[in-house]
Amino acid sequence: MNWELVFTANNIRRLLIGDFPPALGGVALTLTLAALGIVASTIIGFAIGYARFAGSRPVRWLATGYVEFLRNIPLLILIFWAYFAPPYFGYTPSKFGSVLVALVLFNAAYIAEVLRSGLLSVPVGQIEAARAVGMSPTQQVLYVVLPIAAYNVIPALTGRYITLLKNTSLAFLIGLTELTEIGRQINNRLLTAPIEVYATLLLIYFLLNRSLSAGMGLFEDRLRFNRVFCRFAK
Amino acid sequence: MIKLDWSILLGDGGERLIEGAKVTLQLAATSLVLALVLGFLFGVVRWLQIRPLEPICWLYVEFSRNAPPLVQILFWYFSATVVLPGWAIVILRDYGFQFVAASFALGVYHSGFVAEIVRGGLNAIPRGQYEAAQAIGFTIPQTVGSILMPQLLRVIMPMLTSEAVSLVKNTSLALAIGVTEITYQARYIDVYTFRGVEALLVVTAFYLVTCLAIAGCGSLLQRFLQRNRRIAA
Repeated sequence: MNWELVFTANNIRRLLIGDFPPALGGVALTLTLAALGIVASTIIGFAIGYARFAGSRPVRWLATGYVEFLRNIPLLILIFWAYFAPPYFGYTPSKFGSVLVALVLFNAAYIAEVLRSGLLSVPVGQIEAARAVGMSPTQQVLYVVLPIAAYNVIPALTGRYITLLKNTSLAFLIGLTELTEIGRQINNRLLTAPIEVYATLLLIYFLLNRSLSAGMGLFEDRLRFNRVFCRFAK
Repeated sequence: MIKLDWSILLGDGGERLIEGAKVTLQLAATSLVLALVLGFLFGVVRWLQIRPLEPICWLYVEFSRNAPPLVQILFWYFSATVVLPGWAIVILRDYGFQFVAASFALGVYHSGFVAEIVRGGLNAIPRGQYEAAQAIGFTIPQTVGSILMPQLLRVIMPMLTSEAVSLVKNTSLALAIGVTEITYQARYIDVYTFRGVEALLVVTAFYLVTCLAIAGCGSLLQRFLQRNRRIAA
């Protein structure tokens, strides 16, 4: 085992931030992709999930078609569409942009499904109570239905976020210098220590994912605490 | 808007895609079998809570689920050449070394999920079922065969189906180590003819049809498993 070959100051630096000035890479780029992807796909996914649940009939059909289509093709195909197809139409996308778009569209489909199951789990009594105290339909959705649904789906969302973080590794197949690509470059340069390099990568991803799920767990505990003690923000 | 030229899919291009589809299905089948075997094994062992094995199983399941499948494919592919003895590599090379590495990695990755599904399903079977089986004098094989398995499969079949679908989708990652599956062939056609949109369209349709077919088979199987279900009044 040649761990000292892998853990040189230069390699560690590259794994963490890539060739930072100028090109951000490594763990930093992976986390940037994941963070942007999580925020955007949650927003879009919630919109589609809500549309599928409560939209008019054509809207529901569109949303269902979107979800069923994107859940049944590989993310890699989507990334290839986003990166290799636009040049045929006279537009050259950036690597980062295409990966992000593909990641967001793909995971939004799953998050839409997650939210839909959450919406189905909202007890009818809650909605009746909201109506009884005179809330308008918009208020019912914003203050009662969506908060309860979002709280109920936190565990399922955590699973999706972890998958999204894992999915960022696919970006290396079009040459974006995120963590996997940096690892591959280090491996190609060393040649003699593949196990050490890739085991390091596995370990880094493992730690990132465990911290993500631990963070979501803390967030959920916090929300539960606020719920139990009725500490709602006013 | 570009004009699609389907003629590139006649002849060589089309043959490539058909070959690629075969490899994709083979890869999916091999890794699905491996994932089911390993997954049931680890799931049952975790459910039984055998003390000395517990940390090992936990580590296996957590690592296989939390590391990206792509990195696992690269890991097994590149480390196998270092770890395995020479004769084993010679044998594996005849089967296509990349293919073996990719199916092993995908099998391991999905076995973690299958293990958790199986454990959850086993936990969902009420204790009273085993006690009842014991009370009317069932042997252990009888209990497993006619009490445990039917209920377990009924509970876990939908989740296993979606796992199988995601496995088929993940086979596209094998192109990273040069397995000639269908996504690889689409890239090949794009690189050599500069007409990749047609090939990508075909490949997208292929995945769509395959995944929907698996989901359909899964729900048929689920209906079959539910056939004799009586709900106690």
